[in-house]
Amino acid sequence: MKYGEADRILHVFTPELGRRSVIARGARKPRSKLGGRLEPPSHVELELHEGRGDIATVTGATTLAALPRLRERLDAIDAAMHACDDVDRLFGDGEAHPPIFHLLVNHLRGLDQDPAAATIGRQLAFRLKLLLGAGIAPELGACARCGAAGPLTAFSGADGGLLCSGCEHSGFRIDPALPDVMRAALGSSLAEAPLPAPFVARQFDRAVTDLALHHLGAKLRGLQIDG
Amino acid sequence: MFAPPIQRLVAEFAKLPGVGQRTAQRLALHVLRGTDEDARALATAISEVKAQIRPCEVCFNLTDTPVCRICSDARRDPTVICVVEDAADVVSLERTHEFHGRYHVLGGALSPLDGVDPDDLHLPELYRRLRGGEVRELIVATNPTTSGEATALHLARELRSVAPQVRVTRLAAGLSVGADLEYTDEVTLGRALLGRREL
Repeated sequence: MKYGEADRILHVFTPELGRRSVIARGARKPRSKLGGRLEPPSHVELELHEGRGDIATVTGATTLAALPRLRERLDAIDAAMHACDDVDRLFGDGEAHPPIFHLLVNHLRGLDQDPAAATIGRQLAFRLKLLLGAGIAPELGACARCGAAGPLTAFSGADGGLLCSGCEHSGFRIDPALPDVMRAALGSSLAEAPLPAPFVARQFDRAVTDLALHHLGAKLRGLQIDG
Repeated sequence: MFAPPIQRLVAEFAKLPGVGQRTAQRLALHVLRGTDEDARALATAISEVKAQIRPCEVCFNLTDTPVCRICSDARRDPTVICVVEDAADVVSLERTHEFHGRYHVLGGALSPLDGVDPDDLHLPELYRRLRGGEVRELIVATNPTTSGEATALHLARELRSVAPQVRVTRLAAGLSVGADLEYTDEVTLGRALLGRREL
């Protein structure tokens, strides 16, 4: 966020301090030593000065991963910014989450190594793993309401997972492929995340956003799913 | 502490970008200490700018006429359009005296996370200008930020179908004059290397 004549206020996510708001004074000046290093998304090591206010001041920045290739593709930029926004919405100020930090860095670096990997499958898998890191483990093996093994025909964010045909009234109906896709997304690495058909991807996205809303009170932005 | 009219003026100044409470107080007291004529001139300038300035019907630059001076200047090259995010960027580019074409002000940059989608920018108007067939080159001069780059990439992709005959170029990215390599960030330095030119 632009602030004042040439300053920027940034949301940073750190392994030890969780999310922090920091101010980078003069970062928008062309000759600033900070400017280019603080352009999101970037993996940087920051030196912060804790003043009297809530916002620390950035006094130095060293780039750990500049992610230059990621910035050359629109879909990779979009995937990276959605990932950062998800973390920003799901995790509050000052809550340390080292695994989430590493998941985000891994995701961003993966997008940089192969910008063509910015598939909807990878983005959905990232979101599901993010929820898991936030303590939300959706029930994907049996009905979340009655425990029946199947057939699983619906999903309910409020109930916390898949629903059987007998309980499906409290959720939204799903394609039979969705349970396997969600399980595979959770069980595989981001690079190997399954690529669902567009209509299954939309149901996957709805499932994840419903879970975040009902259990964490966080409103995630829907992903753009073409097709 | 101050009389209500002064407090009101302080509150109004404090709404300006980059102006805090203390600066607002200083500005208000400065107005108070000045002549009546100065104060009237300030008030008139503010009300005139609000009443008379509007976006150019062609390029969306700020103007006091239906079509801005740049668009109506026959000496400007109509075959080259420079796309910028904001009207302030036009001023910066004009200061270089290096560009003799015309402009198109988008009114922002794509940022889905901030709710800025293609529909929020003056893109359809740009596409209409390009379909006219007169334009040969489009210089994308959006900021070298994540949203500026996203806008440039989006434009380049759309123009391949909207106006394939138009050459799309991007402002060079690299070192600023007087910069020190030691303190330059890796992305800028990397782009400067990629964009090096023969001497």
